[in-house]
Amino acid sequence: MLETLSLMGQGFINAITPLNLLFMAGGTAIGIIIGCLPGLSAAMGVALLLPMTFTMPPETGLIVLGAIYCGAIFGGSISAILIHTPGTPASAATAIEGYQLTLKGKAGKALAVACFSSFCGGLLSCISLYFFAPALAQLAMKFGSPEYFWLSIFGLTIIAGVASKSLLKGLISGALGLLISTIGMDPIEGVKRFMFGQASLYEGINTTCALIGLFSMSQVLILAEKKIKEREKAAKFKDKIALDKGDIKRITPTIFRSWIIGNIVGILPGAGASIACFMGYNTSRQFSKHKEEFGHGSIEGVAGSEAANNAVTGGSLIPMLTLGIPGESVTAVLMGGLIIQGLQPGPELFTRYAPMTYTFFAGFVLVQFAMLFIGLLGCRGFAQISRLSDAILIPCVAVLCVVGSFAIRKNFVDVVIMMIFGVLGYLFRKFDLNPAAVVLALILGPIGEKGLRRSLLLSGGNPAILFSTPLCWVLIVLSIIGICSPIFMERMEKKMVKNAGGDIPDESGDDPVRTTD
Amino acid sequence: MKKTDLGVVGFMYAVCIMFLAMTLNLKKEAQTYPLFIIVLLFLLTTAYLIQMLISAKKKGVTSGIKEIFADFLPKQFFPILAMIIGYLVAMYLVGFYISTVLLMIGCLVFLKVPKWQIVITTLVIIGLVYGAFTMFLGVKLPVGLLFK
Repeated sequence: MLETLSLMGQGFINAITPLNLLFMAGGTAIGIIIGCLPGLSAAMGVALLLPMTFTMPPETGLIVLGAIYCGAIFGGSISAILIHTPGTPASAATAIEGYQLTLKGKAGKALAVACFSSFCGGLLSCISLYFFAPALAQLAMKFGSPEYFWLSIFGLTIIAGVASKSLLKGLISGALGLLISTIGMDPIEGVKRFMFGQASLYEGINTTCALIGLFSMSQVLILAEKKIKEREKAAKFKDKIALDKGDIKRITPTIFRSWIIGNIVGILPGAGASIACFMGYNTSRQFSKHKEEFGHGSIEGVAGSEAANNAVTGGSLIPMLTLGIPGESVTAVLMGGLIIQGLQPGPELFTRYAPMTYTFFAGFVLVQFAMLFIGLLGCRGFAQISRLSDAILIPCVAVLCVVGSFAIRKNFVDVVIMMIFGVLGYLFRKFDLNPAAVVLALILGPIGEKGLRRSLLLSGGNPAILFSTPLCWVLIVLSIIGICSPIFMERMEKKMVKNAGGDIPDESGDDPVRTTD
Repeated sequence: MKKTDLGVVGFMYAVCIMFLAMTLNLKKEAQTYPLFIIVLLFLLTTAYLIQMLISAKKKGVTSGIKEIFADFLPKQFFPILAMIIGYLVAMYLVGFYISTVLLMIGCLVFLKVPKWQIVITTLVIIGLVYGAFTMFLGVKLPVGLLFK
């Protein structure tokens, strides 16, 4: 206990360096800009900026990525409130009440509520990050090769099942990703596999290049196929971006309820901020003493949605950091950030690399403060940026994709791989396959392969070893639940959207997967 | 059932066949795991095909092209895709900065962005890449075959 407290304290001391604070502020501002642009998403933004972090110290790199993540989730609310177009699907519910407030001339108040609730939701989510993550990591310490095999299967069933419109298509995407993950050197036999004569494929497909291609370059192609429309002008507002005591008192219970909802949704692999925002919104309406305001501009509605979607951020990091299972696309990309630093998610992050992990946690707490200040001070400016045309975004994002994928290993083959994955990602999105499942399979494939083959080596080829421990059976049951969960999740999402009035504004910040952020 | 899904099924079978052919050339001990994944992909694709056929019987067959490519503008999409591919080739030949300026100007002019915005956007992106990648990360960006 004392050791943990000391690590927590040390984490804050390490996080409050001028360099970290500078990158934190920069990452948050970039995240808010990405979030408020309806053509871009959080996963895309994190993937695009991933290569910039690889020369930074690991904790600083992770803090930057965390800042972009949190900033983007909040940033989506700015365009949702001012132009009735959520920057990311996570702010879809915010648009319902937020835009009504704007029409009433209370845009400043709506933005202040969104910012304050996002701050509280994000900050409170750090509590669960601090308390649940080390506990889960201790459990992961008991994992051997058979458990790691089942863990990778569990991770794949979750993302393939929940994040796809069709379960079979999700699983097909995952299997294709697993096949692609076999490219490179065989980890046990040392044989070259499917390298197409390219020596640079010796270590396999570079996950970061695949991420940039599947999430960012594919978005360039999606933007390029549609007619470029001039975005609506952001509503001009004269009222102050501030809250009075009465407002804070009124939204406090809502924030606490949404924090619990967002946290649980975040920890559950597969459920994302887009579900949490509707759950938070519905619950705020259910418990409100001013039900008549809902649909006509309720600050509780904005607070419920925004606190819930930001509470997801801390929770969603827990399964990724402790078990190496990213529950949705943004955390899959963040996991790429960990891997790029040479770190493997799992118990080691809480033992050998504990100082780094706790510095990241402390940074994540401080990011929420950065988000509050930058959000409140820069709302008017960000509102103008949200009008940036897709015509300008297309070549800019394309250039950043190319330079980012080149920078990782200074290798032109990586750029070509990124481009191939970009085209694949575009086709996947058009034909309802799941790019996030491919990425996850690329990450989990080698872990699963090593787990399976080492287990079989240990048992002399007897597959019974894969069913030999209670933990194996727990993971098998979880995998089956993972496969069955889409039915439950779809029903829940439909119910939430219906209860919210069924008025979902255009989600032009479309993400590669259905449950996105 | 959408006819376009037949394309997805065909693509997956083609991937299975291609990887199977390559797997059979590996030494025996190294074949097991890739074969396991290929069989898995084959079975899942076949299950999807069966699901499609059942759905075709119940609900009929639609093209799917119209829904998938409803907003698709080929006259905009293909030139942009060609410009990006051309950008990669140009980067290999004339280096990063020249090819980036060409892509930015070409793409922005094609998308009818006002001139002053073209100038500002190009300068900002070049400055950003120079500052972040060349100065901060110390990445040596390609200088191109012609200037080597």
